[in-house]
Amino acid sequence: MADPRSPQLPPRPARIPPQDEAELAARALAGDRAAFGRLVERYAATARRVARAVLGDPDDADDAAQDGMLSALAKLDQYDPRRPFGPWLLRIVANAATDRRRRRAVRRTEALDPALTAGGTRPDVSAERRALAERLRQALAELPERRRLAVVLFDVEGYSHAEIGAILGIPEGTVRSEVFHARRRLRALLADWKEDDG
Amino acid sequence: MKEGLPFDHRPDPRLGAALRRALDAGDDAAFVARVLAGAAAVRPGSWDTVLARWARLGLAAAMLVALAAGYAIGRAGLPASAARPSVAETLLTRRAPPPEADVVLASVVGN
Repeated sequence: MADPRSPQLPPRPARIPPQDEAELAARALAGDRAAFGRLVERYAATARRVARAVLGDPDDADDAAQDGMLSALAKLDQYDPRRPFGPWLLRIVANAATDRRRRRAVRRTEALDPALTAGGTRPDVSAERRALAERLRQALAELPERRRLAVVLFDVEGYSHAEIGAILGIPEGTVRSEVFHARRRLRALLADWKEDDG
Repeated sequence: MKEGLPFDHRPDPRLGAALRRALDAGDDAAFVARVLAGAAAVRPGSWDTVLARWARLGLAAAMLVALAAGYAIGRAGLPASAARPSVAETLLTRRAPPPEADVVLASVVGN
């Protein structure tokens, strides 16, 4: 099913209604591995992206996302079923990613190929998209961590400011501010790339 | 990319799609399999998880109690006369015994 927000976005896994997520969480807490599996399937891509927004490196991000999900499983008795499951889980995943980043020396992001930054010749759409993705990752890495997470959770994952506030443990107004500043920065960095990029 | 309004409450689909492409690692199925394999060793809300949480609290409380008890015992068990003398008192009252005569002699002969 296409994302209703825009036909440009890739299809997402069908959202599980919140009450069903609470039910799945209760079953997972009771030891139902299939129920936990459904929750993992639902949030795998989101958790990986959130972790990668923090860590940059995809392998580190997957390790952190896995740590977060397993930590959430161990803490399922602390989940309040009256609240949405996603923000609760993503808070744990984001914390796991932050902890991992603190534990290890931050890997330096590789410098961009000058041809990319200069907007050199682009042989095909695929290479162009890879280059744009690399440039975006570079731009994200330059943002403060909280700002990075806020814009990814808002513009990529579609969470509301209030939900992001719950995930990051900050006031809703601060989330709005972080999203605004992140967007301004990212758009400025991307402005000279390609005006008609889809 | 077009500049949106400040504090726009709507997601930016163009920026969102670009960021999604930049952050997607692909092969979610392999990741899910990996998490589920790891989950086999995790017991949700199990007694050891709960115990570990309470153990941390218990340890902190026990340390506080031990510190308080140590302080109280130290205060109560120390008689006033047993108070450590000050450096000045030590210097004024304690003198080293004079050396024996043979030591003095040996020192003189040696030099």
